[in-house]
Amino acid sequence: MTTKDIERKPVEITLPVSGMTCAACVRRVEKALNAVPGVDSASVNLAAAKAGVVYDAAAVSVPDLEAAITEIGYEVPSARLNLIVTGMTAGHCDVMIEKALRQMTGVEDVVVNCATDSVAVEYLDAAVTSTAIKKTIRELGYEVADRGEREESIDRERQMRREELRRQTINMLIAWPVGALVMLGTFQGEWILDRFVPEFMGEKWFLFLLTTPLVFGPGRQFFVNSWNGLRHGLTDMNLLYATGIGAAYMIAVINTFFPSAGFGGERATFYEAAALLVAFIVLGRYLEALTRGRVSEAIRKLIQLQPRRAIVLRDGEQYEVPVDEVETGDICLVRPGAGIPVDGVVVEGYSAVDESMVTGESLPVEKRVDDETIAGTINKTGSFQMRATRVGADMALSQIIKLVEDAQTTKAPIQSLADKVAGHFILGVHALALAVFVFWFFVGHGLWFEQETRLLLTPYTLAELEVFGFALLISVTVLVISCPCAVGLATPAAMMAGTGKGAEYGILFKGADAVEATSRVDTVVMDKTGTLTKGEPSVTDIVAVRGSDDELLALAAAVEKSSEHPLAEAIVEATVGKGLSLPTISDFDSVPGKGVEAMVDGRTVLLGNRRLMDDRNVDLASRASEAERLELEGKTVMFMAVGGELAALIAVADTLKETSERAVVELKKMGLEVAMITGDNKRTADAIARQLGIDRVLAEVLPQDKAAEVERLQADGKKVAMVGDGVNDAPALAQADVGIAIGSGTDVAKETGNVVLIRDDVLDVTAAVQVGRATMRLVRQNLLWAFGYNAAAIPLAAGLLYPFTGQMVSPELAALLMATSSFSVTMNTLRMRGFVPPIKRGPPTAPAEEVRRIPETATEVGS
Amino acid sequence: MRIEEQNVGRVSVAIYSGLAALGAAAFLLVTVLTGDYSWVSGIGGAIWIFLLSMIILMPTITPMVRSRVRN
Repeated sequence: MTTKDIERKPVEITLPVSGMTCAACVRRVEKALNAVPGVDSASVNLAAAKAGVVYDAAAVSVPDLEAAITEIGYEVPSARLNLIVTGMTAGHCDVMIEKALRQMTGVEDVVVNCATDSVAVEYLDAAVTSTAIKKTIRELGYEVADRGEREESIDRERQMRREELRRQTINMLIAWPVGALVMLGTFQGEWILDRFVPEFMGEKWFLFLLTTPLVFGPGRQFFVNSWNGLRHGLTDMNLLYATGIGAAYMIAVINTFFPSAGFGGERATFYEAAALLVAFIVLGRYLEALTRGRVSEAIRKLIQLQPRRAIVLRDGEQYEVPVDEVETGDICLVRPGAGIPVDGVVVEGYSAVDESMVTGESLPVEKRVDDETIAGTINKTGSFQMRATRVGADMALSQIIKLVEDAQTTKAPIQSLADKVAGHFILGVHALALAVFVFWFFVGHGLWFEQETRLLLTPYTLAELEVFGFALLISVTVLVISCPCAVGLATPAAMMAGTGKGAEYGILFKGADAVEATSRVDTVVMDKTGTLTKGEPSVTDIVAVRGSDDELLALAAAVEKSSEHPLAEAIVEATVGKGLSLPTISDFDSVPGKGVEAMVDGRTVLLGNRRLMDDRNVDLASRASEAERLELEGKTVMFMAVGGELAALIAVADTLKETSERAVVELKKMGLEVAMITGDNKRTADAIARQLGIDRVLAEVLPQDKAAEVERLQADGKKVAMVGDGVNDAPALAQADVGIAIGSGTDVAKETGNVVLIRDDVLDVTAAVQVGRATMRLVRQNLLWAFGYNAAAIPLAAGLLYPFTGQMVSPELAALLMATSSFSVTMNTLRMRGFVPPIKRGPPTAPAEEVRRIPETATEVGS
Repeated sequence: MRIEEQNVGRVSVAIYSGLAALGAAAFLLVTVLTGDYSWVSGIGGAIWIFLLSMIILMPTITPMVRSRVRN
């Protein structure tokens, strides 16, 4: 690797972006980031309000990326860290700390106050962590402690949401009372309102004074954002609002100051249109801000799981310290009811721990000495001491949060398509508004105009409008009603809800594309050993051909002692307790997929499957019928040859997992084909498959050929999910449409596969498919709401029904409908919060039968 | 004509403004020629056409000119 290559190593970060409201915003931010020289790719998620950027650190810096985002009118909110730093003296200490911190990538501002021992740091937590900042200060020789609440820095997303909600609440508090006054003033002479509403409120000057601060206060954001975008050749839905509000307001102002200009006359001021447009659009944003953040509740719950403080034992004394000061090797005391501060191993004591929040396991898990503990889980009963093994970003909880957060910044194919459509939609809508204006100006007005008809939600009869005012109103209504914000929100909001829901059950989707692919699989291929079975086989039969059972078992154990295969362990385990002494071996060699060989007392000993014996011309004919009988019983038969002659048959069986059968039944009920892949011979594999109700068996498959088998299924047009061990089955997992790594435990980051199951339970495969399908169902529903709304609303706004019904949609009504569409999408998404995968809901639909003994494959490398 | 990178903005403005003005002028011309519309309607309509045309053309023309210059 050259120096240049090293320099060009791409870096990936996730930046928080606030101010995005629609799919067009997503495209703007992506476009702006991609235009920065040195950025390889940028992917923005609207619902998560985050941008994932892959860039060349040598060519571009984090502030450059931040600048690209802020230049087009969005914000990259930074986190703030308030620290108490002791040991500082007036003079150079502040300069030194400030200089050191400012050199860190992602640190934006540092204020050091020696007098109050305080250091305030503003930083981008996508680029640098609070732990790293504190570590830098500690390395300079100072003591550091948090000042005040840490919650805000931990839960940035909630802070951003609060900020957005606060902003939109203020806008609401201004827009709605003022909008209502403008409406009352506009309708002052109507119905019975003249009895209650003072006459001056209907005066155009008064309406002008009320509406102007509304348009340039809460409505200002639309003009500023759309102008910022246009300057960079980008459009978004703010442009639709700005054009709509601007047009209504300008006509109103012209008619106020120059009533004879012919823009509809003195009465047609349109102030109420401008005011209500602002009010309804702000209402839409408020509702979105209110509901959108709740979609990612699951992640926030995970973030909040980790205790903030830990009790550390040092020199026999107990010290309560902030959790990020716990270091690997520290001994922590965990009391009943307390959260486990970091990942570790129990060194003293006994307890039951509730791990449901991380693994989805509903029952408390017993913890004894040498058992692993997971940060964020809750100690239920006893008190114990644990040794910290993983802290900070290495902890399982941190890895899970990162995995889910990363997943939420990726895009499903369906989402990319929706974003693309929505991105081009804005220009299309403006073109449509232009065409509609020209049509109603030159053609429609002359053919169908009726003076007595009214626009819904306005006091005007159309008679008060000239041809220009009439065509303009329809054109503006088209602009307002067409906003694609619901389209932009439909997919990412559902994906966030789905990935969050999966995390609740210990199912980690590595990207939105994984969710989509999981929902589409029609074939699930399960690796046998360790997936359907416990992977803990034991010896059941020894058929001695030459020598005694014990002699042969000892010989087999001696040969297998150097192997790590589960079958080998079973044979070695069988000698324990028998007091057998194992002979010395030499020249051990493993034959992948077939078995092992070694030299014992000058003779070659072979131990493995039929294929190994065939390769070495060992005659099996004399015991063929016995081998067949054992295999028909579902046991795996291993053949042992000494000096080229068959010496023994050793039968080994594994134990089915309690839930395997139910998982297969449920998957089949969902219409999926279930296949089992194994290195076992066909006869044995068929016996296991029969017990589980699996119809398709891929037997005698060498580990390296599993990927090819998956490929073969794909060539038949199947959408394949491969379930297996994330390490041994990595090629097959990679080849499959969806690779599901099962039983990752707490080290989720190392796992390959698109879906990682924390628990070692096949039922979670079913649950993963159910979550995937529910999420995609939600996506489709949301897109139907969003596109369906636009498909229905645009023709209405364009006046399609006017020639037949005489009814026109007013801009105000258009704004209300637009707000409703976004609201309906977010509300629909929130339904996912209550979703429980059917497999997790209650007792099994097909009761799991008692655990059975099944055979194990005779292959040497894990099947 | 060869366009320098720093002139992309200016050239783009000239093109989209020109096209939008052309559209607005065409609109105005039609209202005058048909004789059925008041001056106010004609001018108001022309302004609206100009505005919408600018909004459509600005983000379309600028990247086109930029990519042509880069290529």
